[in-house]
Amino acid sequence: MNKLSQKHLLQLFTLLLAALTVSSLFVGSNPIPIVQALLESFSDDPSIFAIILTEVRLPRTLIAVIVGATLGASGAAMQGLLRNPLASPGLIGSASGAALGAVIVLYFGLVSLFSLALPLGGIIGSLFATLLVYLLSGRQAGTVTLILAGVAVNALTLAMISLLLNLAPSPYAVQEIVLWMLGSLANHSLDDLWVMLPGTLLGWALLLGCGRKLDALTLGEETAQSMGINLFRLRWRVFLAVALAVGSAISVTGSIGFIGLVVPHLLRPLVGYQPGRLMTVSALGGAILLLAADISVRLLPGSTEINVGVITSLVGAPFFLYLILKTRRYQL
Amino acid sequence: MGRLFKQSLLLTLLLLSTQLQAAATRVVSINLCTDQLLLLLADESQVASITFLAQDRTSSFMAEQAAHHTVNHARVEELIAQQPDLVLASEYSDPALVLLLERLGFQVERFPSANAIQTIRDNIHRLASLLGQERRGDQLIAEMDRRIERIAAKPRATRPRALFYQVRGYTSGKNTLQDEALQLAGWQNLSSQVGISGYAQIDLETLLLAEPEQLFTSSYAANSDSIGQRQLRHPVLQQLAGGKPMAEIDYRFWICGGPMIADAIEALDVAHWQ
Repeated sequence: MNKLSQKHLLQLFTLLLAALTVSSLFVGSNPIPIVQALLESFSDDPSIFAIILTEVRLPRTLIAVIVGATLGASGAAMQGLLRNPLASPGLIGSASGAALGAVIVLYFGLVSLFSLALPLGGIIGSLFATLLVYLLSGRQAGTVTLILAGVAVNALTLAMISLLLNLAPSPYAVQEIVLWMLGSLANHSLDDLWVMLPGTLLGWALLLGCGRKLDALTLGEETAQSMGINLFRLRWRVFLAVALAVGSAISVTGSIGFIGLVVPHLLRPLVGYQPGRLMTVSALGGAILLLAADISVRLLPGSTEINVGVITSLVGAPFFLYLILKTRRYQL
Repeated sequence: MGRLFKQSLLLTLLLLSTQLQAAATRVVSINLCTDQLLLLLADESQVASITFLAQDRTSSFMAEQAAHHTVNHARVEELIAQQPDLVLASEYSDPALVLLLERLGFQVERFPSANAIQTIRDNIHRLASLLGQERRGDQLIAEMDRRIERIAAKPRATRPRALFYQVRGYTSGKNTLQDEALQLAGWQNLSSQVGISGYAQIDLETLLLAEPEQLFTSSYAANSDSIGQRQLRHPVLQQLAGGKPMAEIDYRFWICGGPMIADAIEALDVAHWQ
């Protein structure tokens, strides 16, 4: 695998993602003739099949791709910036902060003012929680300190989410605590996609130019600075980018854990341990992983669908344990 | 011989005592559904307290009548203080609370939640005899049956396909009041046709493929927002039934089984022409 060139790796992943995207359109609670539906969706009076394809399955697939890519790329960027293998949106507060921001906006009526209030709440919450973890752990934080700060902030935000949902005017709010902790891609519409798109695209754009700088940072902060990299600005840029992308995504789907942790780890050896290259590959890998998880959720039998966040956590948590054991071996 | 005599005497006394037992005079209800039946059947003086929910206009059909009664929050201490001679609960009332009340010597009667009109009749009958208001109970049942029969007897050329779609995508399949009411009012219930039983979620694709001609919903807490409530605003629902909006049937008709089911069936009947 190590002989795989970057170009081939990207081609392979793009192909895989395309194949999954197409097959995702075929998977639903009922079999429908997809080709016929596709042809009918262009007519003025679309059939039920066409409506299911374009209004139910397509938004769900696209949202899975965008959220997965966001989590994968953000994880890679965070791990590169903090030079810490355990940094990821789920562990250092970005995701739970986003959920908290979204909860405040959605359940207390702010979202009725303008529709982009929802991602905006997520972005602010995400940025706030991430900065809090960063400040708590300090600039030269070791792995353990960073994780501890993350645990503390995550616990705080989750408690706040529970409290707020208990106080929310909607009688249905309390039942949705699980949804914010283990996100779901079900029942989203194209409207939800438009709501999350501006923030995620802006975040991706900000991340795009950071690759070379993050590569330089692997040589150490001082070396990077001597190469003319403004660390202060780089840090802010990555934090802002992650908040924009993760905040927008999570505010629509709820927290989807471990993708930002697992994907960069698995792919790092394939890109020669370079954060810059890792970001693009992780974006593709994250999209593939989340889409695959979501397809498997749809294929599982049972009358009520499981949240996709359950699957990603089931796969991710053991991997996290493995990582802890691995880092412990190096430290001791 | 003497033992048998004593036993039969005891039994006779016991039977006599239950027959002579005076109708309850201080009744406490700890469930919205028994609240409403109590208010419908009892004399004012028989009601000691009802739950605070009975005064809520969106969930209670009897909110107006409930307004001037003492309320409880189904907490054991406030209930004891009211010294009831009868406590009305639902089968879903907190079992720990019911057990505690029984151990303290209170008579607790638990009523099943109604998922059929027959259960409503049975509940009314049972509570009426506990309260010593049998006549009022029979009148209530007769009036309800008369109103339902008027709708059910209407000749229908077609029975349009319909279903209930509630917050979080919940619907009412077989063995629910909504199913029975829809059919009595001349609709087909698609949810029971696709094999749903009781209250369960119906996924969006199954809903769309069933091609309903009318969606019914019961809004609750209209001025609040949640992911579950947003699901009712999914754009795809507006493309169904030729863009016909969902018809509203108030929750207070169904949240509990009671004679107000007749109001719900009449509202479902009116929806044919809207």
